[in-house]
Amino acid sequence: MKHKQQKKAPLPRLYLISSGDENADIGTLLLNQLHLLPRSHPCIIQIREKKLTAKKLLILAQQAQAIELPEGTLLLMNERVDLAIAASLDGVHLPENACSVKTMRGIAPGLIYGCSIHSPSALRIAEESGAEYLLFGPVFDTPSKRKYGAPQGLEKLGAICRQTSLPVFALGGVNQKNALLCMAEGAYGIATLSLFRDSARFAQTIEELYLLLNP
Amino acid sequence: MMPSSPFLCVITDDALCPVSLAEQVLTGGASMIQLRHKNASGSQLFSWAVEIRKRCKPYHALCIINDRVDIAMASHADGVHLGQQDMPAEAARKILGNNSIIGVSASSLGEAMQAEKDGADYIGFGHIFPTVSKKKEYAPLGTETLRKAADGLSLPIVAIGGIDLENAASIISSGASGIAVISAVIRASDPSFAAHQLVCAIKKNRS
Repeated sequence: MKHKQQKKAPLPRLYLISSGDENADIGTLLLNQLHLLPRSHPCIIQIREKKLTAKKLLILAQQAQAIELPEGTLLLMNERVDLAIAASLDGVHLPENACSVKTMRGIAPGLIYGCSIHSPSALRIAEESGAEYLLFGPVFDTPSKRKYGAPQGLEKLGAICRQTSLPVFALGGVNQKNALLCMAEGAYGIATLSLFRDSARFAQTIEELYLLLNP
Repeated sequence: MMPSSPFLCVITDDALCPVSLAEQVLTGGASMIQLRHKNASGSQLFSWAVEIRKRCKPYHALCIINDRVDIAMASHADGVHLGQQDMPAEAARKILGNNSIIGVSASSLGEAMQAEKDGADYIGFGHIFPTVSKKKEYAPLGTETLRKAADGLSLPIVAIGGIDLENAASIISSGASGIAVISAVIRASDPSFAAHQLVCAIKKNRS
């Protein structure tokens, strides 16, 4: 219980999802950018690399874990609770079609769990299961999600935020120009994947977003 | 605890419902079911694992989950089967403890010895014969290599790859503790009967 209390410190408001582009060259992109994180800006980092085998994902997670990250930064693994335990990460992010938080907390109670939701019904399930935060999206148009149809929009983001007391991170096409619109709808923070694609501007973009989200 | 030798392990296939396949081959005498489905979602795998485990219990058969150590734990399965690209056995053992079974795929004597060192409970060794179930980049190992592995290892070997009714007995006489099959049962019109015939073939060999 004590351990859990510690983790109840407020979550960082900036949530970064790894590019998904890592291949045989294990995680050079992610690891380089973790080194570039501004010291005073904790954020949530989700390792989500569908192209890597479990063996390589574990090595990447262990290497990420070994980097000295800004205080308060949380390292999460996408879906694989086993890899999160093996690499001593802080938590796991569960997609909508993954096992429930409740089931996974049964095998790893000390971790932080968050869920992707795309509808009010998924919100109920995630809440009842014990999720600690939610990712909702895509809020704006984003190339990677076009195949799933039109974006959800700010209005639906607002509706979700009003229905829950859990922190909601807005995901999908969120940038420096529209981040505050999400916050005005009640989002707790913003999540982005595209940040990992531009190494040259990475630190500066984090700086800008951090100032917007933590006035 | 591993099933007593010789035994049949059936690996589920993406084309069939794993639960109904498990049900059928268990009545045919399979002692181990490995749930392997590379494209299924986590929640789908978990519910299959729970159902298969339930069906294994009355037969004292083992329910083993491919790759996903977390799903194995959550479903209270008997263990995991790890490929060379999955989590290393050593890391899995730390999470699972000593009561779970860990199997490791090996396609050479070197990989098999490493798996033994890493704390595996059995070795999935193959492919022994040419196989249609999985695309392979190397030639079949053959029963001679299987015999060498059986002589060199203290762990039970579950041989895999192209095993059918005709060659099953030669696998056991080459030193394997069990056979693992996919095609030999899923391509049969009656998987339960196909499993039964395979079990008879390997048990006959013992006498």
